[in-house]
Amino acid sequence: MKNLIGLLFFIFGITSLSAQEIDGDLLKIKSRMDAINEFSAELQLDLDAAFINMPTKYASMHYTKGKDTKFSSDDFVVLPKRGLDFAFSELFEHPFITVDRGIETKNNKEVKVLNVIPTDNQSDMALATLYLDVKNERISASEITTKKNGTYALEMEYPDLDAILPSQVQVSFAIEKLKIPLNFMGSDTDIDRKTMRQMDTKTGKITLLISNYKIN
Amino acid sequence: MMLALLKTEIFKLFRESKTWYAIAAVLLIELIILVAAYYQGAEILDLLLDNLQQSFYFEGNLLNGNLLLYIILNSLWFNLPLILMIVSSSLITEEYKNGTLKTLMLQAVDKRQLILSKFIASLLFTVMMLLLLMATTFVLAYGIFGTGDLVVYLGTLNFFPSEEAFNRICLAFASGTISMIFFTTVSITLGIFLKESAKTWIASAFFLILSSLLLKANFGWGTVERYFFPKLTNSWQRFFEYEVAATSIIIDNMVLIIYIISVVLIGTYYFKKQDVG
Repeated sequence: MKNLIGLLFFIFGITSLSAQEIDGDLLKIKSRMDAINEFSAELQLDLDAAFINMPTKYASMHYTKGKDTKFSSDDFVVLPKRGLDFAFSELFEHPFITVDRGIETKNNKEVKVLNVIPTDNQSDMALATLYLDVKNERISASEITTKKNGTYALEMEYPDLDAILPSQVQVSFAIEKLKIPLNFMGSDTDIDRKTMRQMDTKTGKITLLISNYKIN
Repeated sequence: MMLALLKTEIFKLFRESKTWYAIAAVLLIELIILVAAYYQGAEILDLLLDNLQQSFYFEGNLLNGNLLLYIILNSLWFNLPLILMIVSSSLITEEYKNGTLKTLMLQAVDKRQLILSKFIASLLFTVMMLLLLMATTFVLAYGIFGTGDLVVYLGTLNFFPSEEAFNRICLAFASGTISMIFFTTVSITLGIFLKESAKTWIASAFFLILSSLLLKANFGWGTVERYFFPKLTNSWQRFFEYEVAATSIIIDNMVLIIYIISVVLIGTYYFKKQDVG
């Protein structure tokens, strides 16, 4: 019986400790995010990558809590796999702890830097660094390293001081060299091997302008 | 006189069974490419965009009529001139083979007008073939695969919206027609020099392969190399660069037209000098 009580105290202690390990400011932001159950918005996408030329594209998105975000467009669009989760639901989906890295100035703004470390193997995220705008209770920027999809960084801009959903998001990502099947290429397409080698890994950027939010 | 000669040449051209075989061959190749793309196109696109798919979702269909038109443009740019060169050179080599030139000369036909009518008949046939290819490809490609954005790899991955892709493909066909006329004109001139069909076909194929090889070669000759004919035969491809260098493409096509006129003049001069008997 004594052992059982001891075990219960131990479990309770661990749980309490875990709860204390999540930053309070992040919890405030999380609760603001959690209040959003559903939203739809219009997107304007501008891709900036050294080896991809694409005109500005337009799409609309629909987010429902707990479901995959849906996108629709009249023409072909390229959407980043990561970075469109404006509500950070994937980040908060699995248990995690946070480590306070102090205050920094980013884009002339004072931000609180936090490392978010998942405590569950199910999470695809390996490590996230969040830059919190504590005053306005929202995330200013993030750098997220995933287990399968590389590292990407997000920078958010908001339309006003109260907004929790951004009006502009810049997603920076690393991308491996292009592997082009020979039968796809034109007969006179030159393969500049030197350039191809130099292009092993490149960073790209996609700028999303988000408008016409309809939040439920 | 000239018009009558031209009409006769066109009549003779379409009376030849090899002309119809050539038309059937071009359409068959087109059909094979479309069928292959129907079954393998998605796989090719997956390979092309493999590493992009690690970072991006794609919304929309890239395996569409525009991509098919682009693939057909690429694939036929060796087969098509070869077939056209064989048909065009026959306009003159068949006359040598059958001895019909002598009969024509006995009827006081002007040698210059006769050979010019053959060059013009070949030009009209080439334009007709390109129009036929373009019309059938457009109908089949858009009918089966629909429209959509075009993705092209030319050093960079270039994406074009559907309407822009259509315009670029039309311009590429127009520019490509000039290249085809260049090759068919050369084949007639080769026919004038060589007289025999088989020899002319081999020489035509060799010329085509040589042009293709020289297109990729880089001798470092600057402007001379820039306007060397093999470098001008692929201007159509430049319509798929993201920023179209319109002036440069127009200049290239103009220079190629000068080459065509030069080849016609050389052929005409040699034909006039030749002893038909």
